[in-house]
Amino acid sequence: MVLTRQVLEEVENTFIELLRSKIGPLVKSHAGTNFCSYDDKANGVDLVTALDKQIESIIKENLTAKYPSFKFIGEETYVKGVTKITNGPTFIVDPIDGTTNFIHGYPYSCTSLGLAEMGKPVVGVVFNPHLNQLFHASKGNGAFLNDQEIKVSKRPLILQKSLIALEGGSERTEGSQGNFDKKMNTYKNLLSESGAFVHGFRSAGSAAMNICYVASGMLDAYWEGGCWAWDVCAGWCILEEAGGIMVGGNCGEWNIPLDRRCYLAIRGGCESMEQKRFAESFWPHVAGELEY
Amino acid sequence: MTIDLASIEKFLCELATEKVGPIIKSKSGTQKDYDLKTGSRSVDIVTAIDKQVEKLIWESVKTQYPTFKFIGEESYVKGETVITDDPTFIIDPIDGTTNFVHDFPFSCTSLGLTVNKEPVVGVIYNPHINLLVSASKGNGMRVNNKDYDYKSKLESMGSLILNKSVVALQPGSAREGKNFQTKMATYEKLLSCDYGFVHGFRNLGSSAMTMAYIAMGYLDSYWDGGCYSWDVCAGWCILKEVGGRVVGANPGEWSIDVDNRTYLAVRGTINNESDEQTKYITDFWNCVDGHLKYD
Repeated sequence: MVLTRQVLEEVENTFIELLRSKIGPLVKSHAGTNFCSYDDKANGVDLVTALDKQIESIIKENLTAKYPSFKFIGEETYVKGVTKITNGPTFIVDPIDGTTNFIHGYPYSCTSLGLAEMGKPVVGVVFNPHLNQLFHASKGNGAFLNDQEIKVSKRPLILQKSLIALEGGSERTEGSQGNFDKKMNTYKNLLSESGAFVHGFRSAGSAAMNICYVASGMLDAYWEGGCWAWDVCAGWCILEEAGGIMVGGNCGEWNIPLDRRCYLAIRGGCESMEQKRFAESFWPHVAGELEY
Repeated sequence: MTIDLASIEKFLCELATEKVGPIIKSKSGTQKDYDLKTGSRSVDIVTAIDKQVEKLIWESVKTQYPTFKFIGEESYVKGETVITDDPTFIIDPIDGTTNFVHDFPFSCTSLGLTVNKEPVVGVIYNPHINLLVSASKGNGMRVNNKDYDYKSKLESMGSLILNKSVVALQPGSAREGKNFQTKMATYEKLLSCDYGFVHGFRNLGSSAMTMAYIAMGYLDSYWDGGCYSWDVCAGWCILKEVGGRVVGANPGEWSIDVDNRTYLAVRGTINNESDEQTKYITDFWNCVDGHLKYD
């Protein structure tokens, strides 16, 4: 069975209601408090809060009650090597994206609720309660920011005139040509006059927020390695419904699965051929190949 | 002569919200033909709007404060424009012009005043997110015209420690040569687990907005070179009012002028103890790989 547009829209509205009435207020009221009570996840900068876990639990309870046959994948319950994205309808959820922002009170944390089917994102809702920005979309039904349809203004898409989202990431080990070194070298390539010489980079500290800003045309592209399916699923749907595309972060990867962990998001507001040329002009500046 | 700083702050707030803000918001993203700054690289974008807004600001402040000096980004002449002890408005009509051109919602107006070369009034207004941050010397800080309880905020933030901090960084528009290399090498050291191991870096593309966010307690510090007095003057005053501090970007530059062109801005701490700030600054400087130098 493939879900109809009407069902997708219903799921979208369920996400919106859940975020507006329950999750948003929780995230907003707790951001930037109790700094010392967080436990570290993979290393010193990958942070998990008790609230993150609690919120995921609330989301899971609500969604499985309403859609008991759908599968659920969340950041906090993910088990490496065990959790898999199948063809069935699957909720892919990040209770708090931008956890570091959340802990510091920097107003760019959000909740990201996505639904995938046949391994593709088909519903996405991203809510930043601090700035009251709610992005939402479902396949075939358009993309919206606070219930205003997202219409990306038409203009050329040129790498040398672009504003790109880049992040520091949580991998920090120098040397031996690891991902950290490749990322730093890629940033140099993109920024330098002898490289792409882009207009600038921005870092909001949240993959979902970055993708939504690309979707709305505020940014031209977002390049990142290391994020997970839950970081990108919702934003990916919003991006595509707004006319953008998602390709791989490594050279030549035009079609990637949701959990590829290495992404290049490119905005709409231009021809599809321009998007392809943008990717082709971007990829040579990627220093080496990111591996996850 | 005694200057009523609170009154000037109020005047600048109204100028920002009533006159400048609406222009920035309505014109953001509409500039298709960029006006390239003379002698600058293509990524340093000046729009006609920027110049018009500065003229509007200049006319408004001149009428109200005819004896005060004025320094603006658009009227600055290298080698000629100097900051004296006289009361001097230091103005960036649109900070974050690249954001402005791209309609990324973090362009703002930054209005500052120095007396005896010290920032004593600061007003920063981002009309896209309706955020007005202001302060005047001795009068604390206000967010959207309400006194901001920064002490509670600092309490919730905990200790100021480099490897628990979120740092704002900006590559700037100069993308070759020693300064660019120093910036990239320093970013790498700050992030690396062998050196700074900071929680992360952020960049929203506006120095003034960044300093406002530090004052609000959202970010811990901001390290940059290449910006001018008008980029930092307002933010500097606001930051000082909440216990923050501005030093140079290069090691050992504890005392700098507003036009130093390299800066490390650091947030306040709960007891406003200088030891914690001093240690943070020293640890940060240990990650600076090279030396930033601007004419």
